[in-house]
Order: sequence, then C-alpha cells, then structure tokens
Amino acid sequence: MAAFGSEILQSIVSALLMGMVFALVALGLTIIFGVMNIVNFAHGEFLMVGMYAGLLFAKMSGLDTLTSLPFAAVVGFLLGVICYYGLVKYLLRGPMIAQLFGTFGLMLLLRNLALLIFGSEPRIAHHGILVGRSFVLGPGIVFEATKLTAAVLSIILFVTVSWMLNHTKVGKALTATALNPEAARYMGIPTERMNALAWGIGSATVTICGALLVNFWPVDPNIGLLFTMIAFATVALGGFGNIKGAFYAGIIIGFIIYIPPLWDALTALTGNKTLQGIQLFSLKYTFVYLAYFLIMVFRPHGLFGIKG
Amino acid sequence: MELIQNIFDLSDIPRKDLTIFGVFCLFLVVFPLFPHSSFAMATMIEFLMFSLYGMGWNIIGGYGGQVDLGKAQYAGIGAYTTAVMLIRWNIPFWVSAPVGMIFAIIWSFVIGYPLFRMRGHYFAIATIATSLVLLDIFEIWPLVGGAKGLELPLKSMPDFLYLQFRNDAYYYYILIFLFFFGFFYINWFRKSRLGFQLRAIKDNEEVARSLGINAHWCKIKAYAIATSFVAVVGSFHACYNFNIEPEDIMSLDLSILIAMMAMVGGAGSLWGPIIGAAVLIPLKSYLGSWLGGKAGLAGLDLAIYAIIIMVIAAFEPRGIWGIVEKARRRSKI
Repeated sequence: MAAFGSEILQSIVSALLMGMVFALVALGLTIIFGVMNIVNFAHGEFLMVGMYAGLLFAKMSGLDTLTSLPFAAVVGFLLGVICYYGLVKYLLRGPMIAQLFGTFGLMLLLRNLALLIFGSEPRIAHHGILVGRSFVLGPGIVFEATKLTAAVLSIILFVTVSWMLNHTKVGKALTATALNPEAARYMGIPTERMNALAWGIGSATVTICGALLVNFWPVDPNIGLLFTMIAFATVALGGFGNIKGAFYAGIIIGFIIYIPPLWDALTALTGNKTLQGIQLFSLKYTFVYLAYFLIMVFRPHGLFGIKG
Repeated sequence: MELIQNIFDLSDIPRKDLTIFGVFCLFLVVFPLFPHSSFAMATMIEFLMFSLYGMGWNIIGGYGGQVDLGKAQYAGIGAYTTAVMLIRWNIPFWVSAPVGMIFAIIWSFVIGYPLFRMRGHYFAIATIATSLVLLDIFEIWPLVGGAKGLELPLKSMPDFLYLQFRNDAYYYYILIFLFFFGFFYINWFRKSRLGFQLRAIKDNEEVARSLGINAHWCKIKAYAIATSFVAVVGSFHACYNFNIEPEDIMSLDLSILIAMMAMVGGAGSLWGPIIGAAVLIPLKSYLGSWLGGKAGLAGLDLAIYAIIIMVIAAFEPRGIWGIVEKARRRSKI
C-alpha cells in the first residue's frame, strides 16, 4: 500500500510538471487563435522545429542545450512571421475550409521536410546540465530537473505574455485587433503587422518549449500530431483564445494523461485478474483525444465558461 | 420511373463537359483491354478507389461544407468487418461489405449526433480525435489482430464471391461498376431534397434553419451516406490488398488524402473528386516510385504534395474545377 501511495504522489508530481509543459505548448495556439480566429494545424510541427533547432544548436556550438533557448525563440519567431506573410495572409481571405487545409498543408510540409533532412530515427539530447539530474523529495517522489525547468519556464512565459498583453502598448494593440480588427484598423493599429506578431510570438513560445522538451522527450518527424492534439484539447478545455484558461487546462490535461498508468498500478495492486487484463497504458493519449471530444460536446466554451 | 429518370438526368450539365466525361469513361472501360504495365493498373485501381472515397467525402464536405478529417475510421470499419467475417466464418465479400457498411453507418450515427453540435474548426478537429481514438482501440484489440493487423486467407481458386482474382483487371471492373454506381447516386443526390437542404446549410446555416430545415439531422444523414461510400471501398481495399493494418487503413494520412481528392478537384461539384483523384493519384504513385527508390529522398513526394495543398488553399479554395469555371466565366464576358 505504501508503494502505491508513493506512486500516486509521484504521479501527481509528474502530472503537474507535464501539465505545465502542455500548457506552454498550448500557449502559442491560444494566442494565435485569440488574435485572428484561425486554428493552426501545424502547431505541433512548430514544436518539432523547436526541438530540432535546440538539438542542432547544442550540437554545433558545443554548449549546453539550455543555451539554445534564445536561438530556438528566434527561429520560432521568424518561422511564425514567414508563415504568416507567406501563407496565412492569403488563407484569411478564403473560406474556413481553405484555412483548415492551408495550415494542414503547412503541417505536412514541415513534417516531410524534417523527414527529408533529419531522417526518421528519434533523437534526444544526451548531454547537458539538466539531463539525468533529479531532486528526490521523500521516498519515491522525484522531481526530474529537465521537467522542473520546463515547468518553471512555462510559468515565466505565461506571466510574461499576460503581462505583455495587458500592460504594454503592443499588447493592447494585439488585444484590440483580437476584439475587433476593423475598429482597430480605424484607430491606426497596423492589424496586418499585429497578426504577424501574434504568429511570431505564438510560434516562438512553442519552439522555446520544444528546445526544452528535447531534453527528456525524443524527437522524430511524426511527433507533431500528438502535440497538436494535446494543444487542441488544452485550448478547448481552457476556452479558445483564453490564456489564463490554457494554463489551468494544461495542468488538467497533465492529470488526464496520468490516469492510465495509475489505473494500471491500481489493478496490479488489487490482484484481480480480469481487471489486470485491461491494460490502459497504451491508451495513454487516447484519453486526451477523448477529452477534446467530450469537452467540445458538453462545454464548447471551455471548462471556465468564458467566451473566447 | 421518375426516379430512374432523375438518376440519369444530366441535362443541367453543359454538353462539352458531358462529352469529355463520356470520352473519359470510355477510356476507363477499355483501358484493361490494351497492353499495360501492372504498375499502371495498380495506379488506375487506386485512382478509382480514391475517386470513390472522394465522392463520399464530397457529400458531407463539399455539398454540406462540414470539413471531415476522420473518414479513415470508416474505411477501417469496412475493411475490418470484411476481414474478420472472412477469417472467422468464411463469409463472402458481397455479404460482409453491406454488413460493414451498416456497422459504419451505426457508428457514424453514434458519433455524428454529438459531432454535429460543433462547427467549423472544432468539428474538423473533433473528427480527427474520434478517428484517432478508434485507431488506438484497434491497435490493442486482439479480435482484429492488434497493431499487426489481419492477413486474409487466400483461396486456392479465383472466386468471385470472395473477390479473389489472379488478374487485377477483375478488381478493376468491379471498381468501375462501383464507380458508376457512385457517380449516378451522387448525380441523383445533388438534386434530391437532402442535397438542396445541405447546400442551403452550407451557404448559411441560420437562414436554412429559419426556413424550417433541421440542420442537425440533415448533416447526420449526409454524414451517414458519406460513410457508406467510404466503408464499401474500405471493404474492397481489404480484399484487394489481402492485408490490413490499423496504421495503414485508419491513419490520419488516409483521412487527409480522402479529403484532398475533393478539395483539390473542387469541393461541392460533381466532377471535383474525380478530377482530384485523376490528378493526385498518378502524381502520387509516379512521384513515389521515382523518388521513393532514391535513398535520402523519403518525404520529398509528400512535401511536394503539401505545397500543392497550400497553393490551392491560398489562391483557389474551390480547387481545379473552380479554376475551370472562372476561366469559362471570363471567356463568356
């Protein structure tokens, strides 16, 4: 029983940390959606770009993976801005179906370019200050340094972005564009540039996250879809376009992902053969997809009921 | 009698289009009679399969305007029903395909009811989510072989009932039959009551509802019809390939391809899926065989594909058929 107790505690810790990481993944998506009401299917691919950028920078410079964060942010910002001016600007003129397929095409392109350049084998950062370190708090409760850093960074970025949106001139201009683009244009706000900025910031936050994620999560060209779905579920749960909601929702999604391992641990404890037969571990992410579906059916404006 | 007239009534289509389509059909019918490589045959079969998939998608995605990116789950249901029934009880294709269709339709009602409470992006993402849930379940379900999939037993003799032939031309002619069936069904469908209701919903859902159209129910019905197309082709796929894996027949890639056929060709038009499949499938298989053989170029064919989608989405969301219509209107003025 004691073993199970510490297993629960460990799960809660892991769920909290992973939840904050998922929230950070979703942050960019919710910024982009909030400003221009477009869903970016390539969001997980942006994360993948960040992961590869982090790995490559660390390898080329010979420095720690932590130092690659600014590089990943610059890459992400440029990627977002290029995507906006090269593709999304044109998509916004068309119907909704065009936006869907356009960002879908972007997702396919990034994924296959990664396959072309890096090959299909998974890669992970093997060296670094953080890799392999952990803090032990009591029996069986381990804080992995990599995840802890990512979670702390998530909090920092969330605070920064919401402060920027509420207290700086640029942030207010962004919010104005989100609320009413036409009125914002009459007030002299360059809405086109604001949209590009939203794409840049949204993409930069997720590439930073990717550069940290690669410390403990192997990257391969097909990783994007999983994170896109996690981000969609998170954003749906928090309310589309709601930044504070996305943070809490990310933590909830973190807990949802730890349901199957907990269930497996619980059934192993009871020793009941029929229950043990139902191994949920391989359905880890199915719960996320299911969560998205159920949230959208029952709470279309998110768990916190705020219209995005 | 009137029904038959309606089915074959193509009078609202310009004569020139009909002539081109007639020539094309003639080509389709006589194609196996001429000498051809087995690669060309496989490409043609894939073209027919994908134009049928695309016709199915076109009903809900084109006429209904509901972007569905989870069609592969129904192809999977059809394929797995056929395979499991054949392996367990030795039931022929012509029985198991309708059964698979019924299963798929039931599943489409089960998830369609909640799905159509959403619109737009939310709907599209939710269809992906349901499709992935089903894929994950099939990957661990022992009855359907888990992630390894199922291998269909080979009969010692070619058998029409079980759809097992030594020569691809027989598969081809069965698909041609399905193709014409599907084509004339859609020709009837687009002028049916449901077809008009769907287009009204696509144009403006609020107005359609105010005119007394039950939008929710209409979409569910159209979704079920689209599903039955996909499920039958899925069953055929199982018999044609002898081997089905969840990663193969239920993957998101298949869902995207299905949607792309209609999207690239021109969603919401009779010709759209056919044009889309006729352009994309040969491109895909020839690019694949040309580039796939070269080491280090894996992914380039799909990257080229992706660029085509992006260009079409950005500049002509109505697809190739939209370009044709635009050019026509310009030449008239």
